[in-house]
Amino acid sequence: MKFLLNKKIILATIVLLVLIVVGLSLTTRRKIDYITDVKPIINKNCITCHGGVKRKSGFSLLFRSDALAKNESGKPAIIPGDPDHSEMIRRLTLKDPEERMPYKHPPLSEEEIGILRDWIKQGAKWGDHWAYVPVKPTPLPEFHKGFLGLFGEEKPEWIKNEIDYFVYDKLQQEKLEPTHQADKATLLRRVSLDLTGIPAPENLASSFLHDTSETAYEKLVDGLLNTPAYGERWTAMWLDLARYADTKGYERDDSRSIWRYRDWLITAFNKDMPYDQFLTDQLAGDLLPDPTNDDYIATAFHRNTMTNDEGGTDNEEFRTAAVIDRVNTTWEALMGTTFACVQCHSHPYDPFRHDEYYKFMAFFNNMRDEDTFGDYPLLREYKKPDSSRLAKLQLWLNTNTSPQRKREIMTFVKTWQPAINSLLADEFTNSELLDTKWLVLRNHALCRLKNVDLEGRNQLIFRYISWVNGGNWTIHLDKPDGTVLKTSSPINSKGSWKNATIEIPETHGAHDLWFTYENSNLKSPLDNGIQFGVFYFTKDFPGKGNPGYDSAFKYFNELIASDNIVVTPIAMDNPPDMFRKTNVFERGNWLVKGEEVKPDVPHYLNAFPQNAPKNRLGLAEWMTSKENPLTSRTIVNRIWEQIFGTGIAETLEDLGTQGIAPTHQELLDWLSWKLMNDYKWSLKKLIREIVMSATYRQDSKASEDVLKKDPFNKFYARGPRTRLSAEQIRDQALSVSGILSNKMYGPSVFPYQPGGIWLSPWNGATWERSSGEDQYRRGIYTYWKRTAPYPSMMSFDGASREVCTARRIRTNTPLQALVTLNDSVYVEAARFFAFRMEKEGGTDIKNQISKGYELALLKQISPQKLTVLDNLYKAALKKFAADKNSTCEMIGVDNEHNNPQTAALVVVANAMLNLDEFVTKN
Amino acid sequence: MTRKELDTQRLFQEARHESLQWVTRRHFLKDSITGLGAMALGSFLAGCDWLGSRQTGSNILFDSAHPLAPKLPMFPGKAKSIIYLHMAGAPSQLELFDYKPALMKLDGQDCPPSLLEGKKFAFIRGVPKMLGPQAKFAQYGESRTWLSENLPHFSTVVDEVSFLKAVQTDQFNHAPAQLLMHTGVARLGRPSMGAWVTYGLGTENSNLPGFVVLTSGGKFPDAGKSVWGSGFLPSVYQGVQCRSEGDPVLYIKDPKGMDRDLRKASIDAINEVNKLSYEEFKDPEILSRISQYEMAFRMQTSVPDVMNINDEPEYIHEMYGTQANKACFANNVLLARKLVEKGVRFVQLFDWGWDSHGSDANLAIDIGFINKCRSVDKAMTALILDLKQRGLLEDTLVIWGGEFGRTPMQENREGKPNPFKGRDHHTEAFTIWMAGGGIKKGFSYGETDEIGYTAISGKVTPYDIQATVLNQLGFDHEKFTYQFQGRPFRLTDVHGRVINEILA
Repeated sequence: MKFLLNKKIILATIVLLVLIVVGLSLTTRRKIDYITDVKPIINKNCITCHGGVKRKSGFSLLFRSDALAKNESGKPAIIPGDPDHSEMIRRLTLKDPEERMPYKHPPLSEEEIGILRDWIKQGAKWGDHWAYVPVKPTPLPEFHKGFLGLFGEEKPEWIKNEIDYFVYDKLQQEKLEPTHQADKATLLRRVSLDLTGIPAPENLASSFLHDTSETAYEKLVDGLLNTPAYGERWTAMWLDLARYADTKGYERDDSRSIWRYRDWLITAFNKDMPYDQFLTDQLAGDLLPDPTNDDYIATAFHRNTMTNDEGGTDNEEFRTAAVIDRVNTTWEALMGTTFACVQCHSHPYDPFRHDEYYKFMAFFNNMRDEDTFGDYPLLREYKKPDSSRLAKLQLWLNTNTSPQRKREIMTFVKTWQPAINSLLADEFTNSELLDTKWLVLRNHALCRLKNVDLEGRNQLIFRYISWVNGGNWTIHLDKPDGTVLKTSSPINSKGSWKNATIEIPETHGAHDLWFTYENSNLKSPLDNGIQFGVFYFTKDFPGKGNPGYDSAFKYFNELIASDNIVVTPIAMDNPPDMFRKTNVFERGNWLVKGEEVKPDVPHYLNAFPQNAPKNRLGLAEWMTSKENPLTSRTIVNRIWEQIFGTGIAETLEDLGTQGIAPTHQELLDWLSWKLMNDYKWSLKKLIREIVMSATYRQDSKASEDVLKKDPFNKFYARGPRTRLSAEQIRDQALSVSGILSNKMYGPSVFPYQPGGIWLSPWNGATWERSSGEDQYRRGIYTYWKRTAPYPSMMSFDGASREVCTARRIRTNTPLQALVTLNDSVYVEAARFFAFRMEKEGGTDIKNQISKGYELALLKQISPQKLTVLDNLYKAALKKFAADKNSTCEMIGVDNEHNNPQTAALVVVANAMLNLDEFVTKN
Repeated sequence: MTRKELDTQRLFQEARHESLQWVTRRHFLKDSITGLGAMALGSFLAGCDWLGSRQTGSNILFDSAHPLAPKLPMFPGKAKSIIYLHMAGAPSQLELFDYKPALMKLDGQDCPPSLLEGKKFAFIRGVPKMLGPQAKFAQYGESRTWLSENLPHFSTVVDEVSFLKAVQTDQFNHAPAQLLMHTGVARLGRPSMGAWVTYGLGTENSNLPGFVVLTSGGKFPDAGKSVWGSGFLPSVYQGVQCRSEGDPVLYIKDPKGMDRDLRKASIDAINEVNKLSYEEFKDPEILSRISQYEMAFRMQTSVPDVMNINDEPEYIHEMYGTQANKACFANNVLLARKLVEKGVRFVQLFDWGWDSHGSDANLAIDIGFINKCRSVDKAMTALILDLKQRGLLEDTLVIWGGEFGRTPMQENREGKPNPFKGRDHHTEAFTIWMAGGGIKKGFSYGETDEIGYTAISGKVTPYDIQATVLNQLGFDHEKFTYQFQGRPFRLTDVHGRVINEILA
C-alpha cells in the first residue's frame, strides 16, 4: 500500500512537472533563436527530405525564400507570424501516420513543436550559423564579483593571458577548476615538440632549465620559434592539407619533382610569412605582377593533384578530377567547409547552391595543366652556367624589346608556356596518340589540331622525337587539303627529344590546323615517323640586327633546350585564345554539361571584393579579406588542434551546421580577430599567444573527478596529453639517439624501408636506400609514394595524401607497437641511444639508464621505473653474457660496442623508445 | 582457436568493452551535455541506432580507444567471412565462362562498325578483327554449366557456384576499375570493402588482423595499396598485408639477437613502466596502449603460425597445388582458408598477370593466359572443396573475378595488330562468380549477346556486388555509412542493389 502510494505521489509529481514545463514553454514566448533552437530540429528531422538534396512536395527548409514560397500544393507551408495557419505545424501535429510529419518517423516532441510554433509566431526569421558570420571583436568574459559585489572584479591568479579568460569562464560554468603549471622539464619537452616537432636544442634547453627568472619560459618559446626546426614542424602539418607527395598517383604512380614546394613551405613558415600572403602565393602566385620563381613554386600547392599516366585514360576526365579536387581542397583545408557535396546538388544542410560549386570551380578551370605525362606547366629553374645566361638574356631584352614581349619570352624560357600539348590532336588517319600521351605521325598521316590562334605569329617552336631521316611534315589551314601554311623536314633526332624552330607566314585569326606527313624511308605503314610533345606558336625573336642579338638568341635557344634544371609543376592560366568554358555538371557528372557559369563565390558569404579580378588572385583577396568568416577561424582552429590535440571545433574540416559545435566559440572568434587585426596574420604570434597561456602550461595529470567530468579534456582543466604524430615519433627517436640529421631542404630521401613495399606494375621504380646522413633526415623529407607510402608512418596514422586530409584521426593499435619495437629504423636508433647512454652516463649502469631516461624525457627517472628498467637490463645481460652470437646481432656489427653490457643496454634503449610517455606529449 | 572458442572470446571482449565504455565518446556526451545544446547533440545519443547515424552524421562505430572491438552487424548475416580472389589485370570471360560459339564464326573478320561507333577502348584503334574463343567449352555438373577447358579442376565444383555473367563497369583502365570494384569510386581516397567491413564488425580474433591482404603474380594490383586502403576511415581499418617473403606482417619479427623470452621481458618492462605512468596521469589511453603491446606480443606468435602452411597435411598441399617457399596464388589460397578458420573476417587476394593484350607471349590469350589459368585452377577449386569439408563454406562467401572483361575483338594497339593473340579491356560484359555464404548453388544469372560483346539481361555492377557482399554480412548498404566531409558516405555511393536472384 505504502509502495503504491509512493508510486502515485511520484507519478503525480511527474505529471505536474511536465505540465509546468509544457505550460512554461507555451506561455513564456521566449525569444527563439534560429541557429541554436530551430536549425538542430530541422537538421535532425526535416532536412533529409526538405533540403538541398530532396525537396519533397516542392518544400525546402534550406533558405528562407524557399521555405516561405508556395510549394506543390500551391500554398506556402510557413506563414510568418501565423503558426495556426501554417501547414508545417499542422502536419507535425496530425494523428494520421500517412499525413503526419516526419513521414514514417517518430513524431516531434511537444517541446520541439512548441519551439517551431513560437519561431513562426515570431516571424520565422532565419539566422546565420556562427561560422558564416564575419568575425567581430569579442569582449573578454567578466568575472563574478567578490562577496556581495563589494570588492569589484577579481581576476584569478591562474590567468596569464586573454585565452585563459575564456577558458576559465567555461571551467567555472562546468564547475571545474584549472590546475597548476607543469614542472619545467615537462613544459620544456611539451613546448619543444609542439613548436619544432623535436626536442629542444641543448643550449635552449639548458638555459631554460637553469634560468630562474620570470621570463625564462618566454625566452624559451621565442628561441624555439626562431629555430629552423619550427618551419619543418609546421610544414609537416601543411603537407597533409596540400596532399603533397613525390609521385603522381594512380596506376603508374611515377615520380614527380615537387619538393621545391615543400622547401618553399619551410621557408615561408620560418620567416613567418603573413598567412594572407601565404595563401595568396599558393593560390595565385603566378598571377602576381612579375612573379618570381618562389611565387611560382608556391602555386605547386594546387599542382599536388594526381595525374593519371595509365595508357588509354581520358585526359579530360582526369584533368576535371584534378580541378574538382582543387575546389574541394580549397574549401576543406582553407575554409573548413565541406563543399564536395555541392558538386552533385545544393548543400543538404548549409547555404550553398549547386551552381555555386561550378562558379567556384571556374576559378580553377582555366589552369593550364591537362593531365599530361610531363605534368606541364613546369617551372624550369636553371643552374649555372644557364642561370647567368638567363640573367644576360633578361638584361638584353630590357633594352631591345617591349616590356610585354620581354615578359612573354621570359615566361616561355621559364615555363615553356603557353604551348599547345600535342595530345589535343584528333581526327587521326595513320597517326595516333602514343600511349594516349603524344601525337605520332606515320607515313601518309593526317590529323587535326583544333582552333589555333595564329594572329601575329610567324614562328613555331616545337618539341619532337623522330626515328628516321627525311619526311615532309605539312601544315594545312582549315581542311585536310587546305592552304599549305608550311612544310618542313625536321632532322632525325634518333629517338631523343629535340626542340626545333620554323618560320611560318603571317596569318590572321584562329584556324584548325591539319597535319600531313609523308616519308618514303618508312618501310612499314605501321612505323612511327615523328612524335610531338608541344607546339608553341609565337613571334620571331626580337631585336634582329641589334648589337648582341646573336648571343641573346643563342642563350634563348640554349635555355629552352637545357635539361640541367630543377622542375616544379606550377599553376598558370590559359591565355585568352585557349580559354576553357565552365559549365555546371548535372548531378555532378562531368559528361553532362549544364548551363555555362562565370567565376564567382557563394552569395551567402562575404561579397567578392570590388575591383578585384575574377581570377585566382581575386579569389585569394576574397578569402583573406577580414570579412571572410571562414579563413581565419579555420587556421586558428587547426593550430589549436595541433597544440591541444583537438580543435576548438573538433571537426576541422567542417565548421558548418553539421560539424561538431565549438567548445569555446568566443575564444575561437577572439583569436581569429586577433590574428587578422593585431597579429597582421602572423602565425608565430598566434602560436606564441597559445603556448604562453596558463591553459597550455597546465600539468596534464588528471584527477579522478576531472577525468570523470571531462574525459576528453574539452574544457582544459588540465594540460594537453596526446600521442605524437607519425613524423614526430620518428624524429624524436632519431634525435634522442643523437643521429638525427639537421640537413634541410632538397629532394626527398629514402631511409630504411623493408623490402617488397614497392611493386607497382608498369613502373619499375625501386626504393634505393639513401646513404650517409640522408638516412636520418626528418620525416618530412621521406619520399612519399602515393600508392605505397612509407609503411611505418602509415601505421601511426600518416595520410597517403591522395586527397587533402584535413585531420588525422589518432588510433592505438598493436601494429604501431610492432613498428617501434622491431622496425630496423628504431632498432638502429636504440643502438645509437645505448651508445650515447654509455658515453654520457658514466660507468654505473643505473646512471646510464637514468641518463637515457633524462635524454628521452628531460626529467629524472623515478626509483620504481629505474628498478623496472634495471631488471630488464639484468635479464638481458644474463642472456647476452651466455650468447656471443646474439650479442653481435643485437649490436649489428662486430665493433668496439660488441659486448654483452652494450647489447643489454640496447634492449633497455629499445624499451625506452616504446614507453607511453615517450610517444606521448605529456 | 576454433570458431566456438572465438565466440566465447568475443563475449568476454564485449563484456570488457562495456565496462570500459564510461570513457567513450558517447558517454562523455551523455554526461556533459546540458540545456538546449543537448538538442543539437542529442543525435549522438542514438546509440546503436544505425538509422540515427545515417541522419545525424555521428560515426557511432568508431571508438578510438577500441577501434577493433568486435561489433554486431545490423542484422544476422549469412556469411561470417569473405574470401575475395581478384585476378588483377582482368581475365577473359570468353576463354573461361561465357561460351560464344557464334563468335568463332566471325573469327578474323573486321569488326562491324556498329560495335565501334561511339565506343572508346583503352588500346584498340581503327577497325580491329574479331577473335573467336581460344578455348574449347563443355558442360559440367548437374547444372550443365558451360566451362572452358582452361579450368579442368574447377569443372568439378560448378554446382557449388553462382555465376554472374553480365557484370558491367564504366572504367576501362585497371587502376580506376579496381578502385571502383573495391572502393565504390574510380578515384583514390575511398575506403575499400574490407576496410568498411572491419569498421563495421571489428576483429573477431584479436591476435590477428581483421582484414588481411595476400598478393601473388609478382606485382601489386595496378591501383596499389589503395585497393585495400582505409580511405577516409581511420587508418586502423586498412588491410594488413601478409607476405610470403620477408616479415609475414611488416615489423612482426623481433630484431636479430632478441629471442622471445627477452622480448617478453622487454614488453613486460614497458608495460610496467606504463602502469606507473597510468597511476600518475590516469589517462585511459595508457591502459589501451598496455593492451596493444600485449596484443602485439601475441600477434608475433599467432601471425607467423597462421602464415606457416608447412603444418598442413600433405594431401592438403596436393589438393591446393602449393609450392614450397614461394609467393604464389595456391599458397595464398590455402592461407586464406587458414585465416578464415582462425576468425579473420575479410581475406583479399590479388593475383597479378591477367592482362592478356597479346603484346607479348606472357600476355597472349593462347599462351600466357593458359598458364595463368593453370596456376589458379587447382587452388580455387580446392578452396571450395576444403571449406566445404570443414563446414566453413556455408558462412564463408568466396568471390572470384577481375576488374572488367575483355573484348570479343583482337587488340590492335595504336591501329596495328598485336604480335600475339590478345583482347583489349572491355567494360560491357564480364563474369564474376560467387560461392558459399548464402549464395545459390549451380546457378547462373545474366546473359550477354551472342558474341559476348554486351550484357543483355541480368546486368549487375560493382556496386551491386558490394551491396550483396555487405548484405551477406548483415549490412544494409544504404544505411551503413560514415560521416566525412559533411555528409554520410557509403561504400556503394548512391548506387547498388542486392542481387537477390543469386541468394539461396
